Amino acid sequence: MLSTRVIACLDVHNGRTVKGVNFVDLKDAGDPVEQANFYSKTGADEICFLDISATYENRKTMFDVISKTAETCFVPLTVGGGVNNLNDFRELLKCGADKVSVNSSAVSNPKIIIDSSDKFGNQCVVLAIDAIESKNMPSGYEVTTHGGRKKTNIDVLNWAVQGVKNGAGEILLTSMTTDGMKTGYNLHLTKLVSENVSVPVIASGGAGNPKDMVDVVLKSGASAVLAASIFHFGIHSILSVKKEMLKNGILVRDCGN
Amino acid sequence: MYLTIIDYGSGNLRSVENAFSNAITDNNLKCKISVTSDIHIIANADLLVLPGVGSFPDCRKGLQNIEGLIDVLSEQVLFKKKKFLGICVGMQLMFDFSLEKIRTSGFGWLSGNFNKIKTVGLDYLGRKFKVPHMGWNSLHLEHIHHPILKEINEKDQYYFVHSYYLEGNQKNQVIASTNYCHQIPAIVGNENYLGVQFHPEKSSLSGQKLISNWLKWSP
Repeated sequence: MLSTRVIACLDVHNGRTVKGVNFVDLKDAGDPVEQANFYSKTGADEICFLDISATYENRKTMFDVISKTAETCFVPLTVGGGVNNLNDFRELLKCGADKVSVNSSAVSNPKIIIDSSDKFGNQCVVLAIDAIESKNMPSGYEVTTHGGRKKTNIDVLNWAVQGVKNGAGEILLTSMTTDGMKTGYNLHLTKLVSENVSVPVIASGGAGNPKDMVDVVLKSGASAVLAASIFHFGIHSILSVKKEMLKNGILVRDCGN
Repeated sequence: MYLTIIDYGSGNLRSVENAFSNAITDNNLKCKISVTSDIHIIANADLLVLPGVGSFPDCRKGLQNIEGLIDVLSEQVLFKKKKFLGICVGMQLMFDFSLEKIRTSGFGWLSGNFNKIKTVGLDYLGRKFKVPHMGWNSLHLEHIHHPILKEINEKDQYYFVHSYYLEGNQKNQVIASTNYCHQIPAIVGNENYLGVQFHPEKSSLSGQKLISNWLKWSP
């Protein structure tokens, strides 16, 4: 049976990871390549890189990060941030990315999902949605861009359904309200989207402990869980998350493999 | 030994090359990899790997765009008995046809066709079955003694990402299968040619084991 995936996310700025990481095992705590390898060796089912560089010049360093990671890290790699056109897709895939996520660019140009899934297959197109609560929206959630700072007046549920129709093969759903709070995922939001789209939904934003990950799978039907800071700070390991999931009847991939 | 990864504009060639190169080094094998679309190099290779991501019709079209490629492949595999591995859509192409988007024929080396994964009911946690079948899944070993399965057991998991599955195949062509809502053939083959529905190049240590087995296999 299919395992529920545990995904480690790394925020990368100018080729370096941003959020503080303090694993004793790492020689260079800011090196995303070394971190990705560490996560992959300790049981991460996927690695997600989010490039938050502001300029195209700096973004080019990301290609190098992906190429180096793909040389030794044999798990799926998702890359997002600053993906604006088909050429960005092509470059990232060529370096060794398996999936590419689009967020702001899909809002300004929804056709990018149609074009990229047509060209590269829907399995590699991830629609990343940053959601905030909003009473003005039919689903109660609004799509935001630019790290939650910019509202779009787009309803999250409509956006997700439309994105899948256009060819997205997966949805990376982040609750901006709970992101970084370590108080648990937004269960209501995750359930709402997960039940209404045919593709896998990755829950993101708010994981504070392994129990939160169990909850979002059991109560909201997430296909995968993603976290950044709780892994980076070494508070919880991928292994401890997987143990908790297994204890609660959720199948996971054996970390020994 | 010369191993050729066939480049026809589809796929994660770099990842496939990295994973094979790693397995070659780990096993101290003497094998040189080339990633190419040159049919002369392909014809002279000892081992052939056909990757494939994206849709079946697009991959088929990519192959057709390289003049003579499909004929050379069939000749090398069926008549010269070269060892071959098809990955994901590369595996699907070994069969009669796929119904993805529009009915498109494959090479017809093996009988069977590809149809959309059927999603009925809910999974063991009450979740809807999602398509693509995406993530890590275990294998049910059908031909336990096949050399490709050496030291692989049901604890090993492989990374799948696909929406179409093999149906109507000959049972004895299936070496291992997986389960997602229903049974899905995962490793198929005959004599010197094998295909895997999953991505061994993305399947961590379990994937490395399978690649090593394939490299060391003498059909």
